[in-house]
Amino acid sequence: MSATAPDVETGAAARQPARLRIGRGEAHDGGRHRYPRFERRQRRAGYLLCAPAVAHMVAFTLLPVLAALWLSFTDYRVLAPPSWVGIDNYVAMFSDQAFVKSIWNTSVYTFFTVPFAMLLSLLIAVALNEKIRARAWFRAAFFLPHVTATVAVAMVWIWMYNPRIGLFNAALGAIGISRINWLGDPNWSMPSVILMGIWQGIGVKMLIYLAALQGIPEHLYEAASIDGASKRQQFFHITIPMLKYATFFVFVISLIDSFQVFDSIWVMTQGGPVNSTTVMTYEVYRSAFQSFRMGYASAQAVLLFAIIFVLTVVSKRLTRSEDV
Amino acid sequence: MSSQTATPPPADALHDGAASGSASARPPRAAASSSRRPRAGRVVLYTALSAGALFMILPFVWMVLTSLKTPQEIASFPPTWIPREWRFENYLEALRAAPFGYYFRNSLFISIGQTTGTVVFGAMTGYALARMRFRGREVVFLLFISMMMVPTYVKVLPQFLMMKMMPFFGGNDWLGQGGTGWLDSWWALIVPGAISPFAIFLFRQFYLTLPRDLEEAARIDGMSEFGIFARIMTPLIKPAIATVALLQFQNSWNNFLWPLLVTTRQELRVIQLGLAVFQQSETTAWAYLMAGTTLATIPMVLLFLVAQRYFVQGLSGVAVKG
Repeated sequence: MSATAPDVETGAAARQPARLRIGRGEAHDGGRHRYPRFERRQRRAGYLLCAPAVAHMVAFTLLPVLAALWLSFTDYRVLAPPSWVGIDNYVAMFSDQAFVKSIWNTSVYTFFTVPFAMLLSLLIAVALNEKIRARAWFRAAFFLPHVTATVAVAMVWIWMYNPRIGLFNAALGAIGISRINWLGDPNWSMPSVILMGIWQGIGVKMLIYLAALQGIPEHLYEAASIDGASKRQQFFHITIPMLKYATFFVFVISLIDSFQVFDSIWVMTQGGPVNSTTVMTYEVYRSAFQSFRMGYASAQAVLLFAIIFVLTVVSKRLTRSEDV
Repeated sequence: MSSQTATPPPADALHDGAASGSASARPPRAAASSSRRPRAGRVVLYTALSAGALFMILPFVWMVLTSLKTPQEIASFPPTWIPREWRFENYLEALRAAPFGYYFRNSLFISIGQTTGTVVFGAMTGYALARMRFRGREVVFLLFISMMMVPTYVKVLPQFLMMKMMPFFGGNDWLGQGGTGWLDSWWALIVPGAISPFAIFLFRQFYLTLPRDLEEAARIDGMSEFGIFARIMTPLIKPAIATVALLQFQNSWNNFLWPLLVTTRQELRVIQLGLAVFQQSETTAWAYLMAGTTLATIPMVLLFLVAQRYFVQGLSGVAVKG
């Protein structure tokens, strides 16, 4: 809270005498013996520092997760108290046309958004890793869609997708293709949502790949070029294998993100037309806040969690087994 | 953690690297490889990158240009790029058409509140988990890590019910019945999102990089544990504070689902929600909608351009350190 500049001074000043007074080995043993109450004091301080966040986490994450699990086995419509129904909700989900459709749609959305955005972001990261001018500007341009709110950018995309006077149809008109009712045609609504998903998803993936590329040791490439490996060989035999961990990481966070797509759906299509863009999160929202079936909505959310969890574990296994 | 050497903290190196400017800090390999590349390759590279970058920023350009056009020009087809008449009044009129100014202020208020909470509590917890010995530390850390994996949509429903049943608030009795609890209040908007496990994790990673000598010395000088945390260690991780603050501000500012669920009153609407509502009620007021959208994007764009390196650092830090 107080002025910060003097604190840094204290830190710098403290560093010097510490190194002069006690050797490295002594610091631990000597310190502990000279201060018998130190451990107890530290324990108390540790608990105090953690307490607010732990309380918050228990109240607003742990309890809600447990509550969601419990609610998923109940029939709860807010007005009357929850009543236990066993696995009825889980059974009902699979005869719910809209929800089955939403599982399919979520998978389609993920299947097209994640690999395309990953491939594009890898290519961009490799390009940005070259010695180029204005790299920071390029990077900023590619990252910008990620920083801005999905709702806000979805507004712009709705406007660009406008069937009558929108930018996309103007571009198509210029090359002689007739107008497309992007968000209003059940055949085009999902591709339209996916295109925006890819556009917005490139930034983070690109940045993670770029960081990983810059972490590949230079000597690998040097050794390879001494052995006469071409650029292409270097890319496929050094760069790609060295990016394995980054690829796993990017894949998992992209998967988690795309399974939870909601804002763009809510704003652009509300799940329509005729459920062509409804996704699992949107069905959870609809069950809970439009039909007020809290128990059923919880079961849907738990299934979503389970799918994400399984996919994460499976992809972790896959990367690890290749390691050995 | 157990054997810290007397060498300068690795954190410094990381931050200096990031601070020295993203454009200038490039690996030697890139320099070596590209000097041998033929010119044609360069041209292709720049063309492809420029085309890609253009596609990325095109919607933003289109947004701003639309927000400055007259309704007649917006309705014309094919659309024009540069407004024939720059209509800056659109912004004033948009503020009258919907209380975007209010929405903006609400978003700002919530974002600042949650960012403050996240930085203060995140630093406290991250520090304790990184540098203090106490029983149960590992369990607490594991709990936070697993909570990071919980999808929003699993906890959001019970959280909503919890807001509704908050005892003694909004006309509720002690059992949380009878009223609206925290719904439609600043409490609901700010408190549940005021600490994030991710921030704790990030702070912990940064505190782990500091040398042990510092705290030992301060301890010998008789400083309290809280003093060491607040006055010795925390000033050394200012870049981490900036990173966490920016990421949290971004999350809060861009949040849509939670404000959608817990608010119904217009006075409490955040800007993203205000935009969505406006878009659905005024389906043809494109200039005003784009003016509102510009207002909703400007803070993040500015923050990002000013502090790009902290965003980059936050993400790459996670990716590299796992």
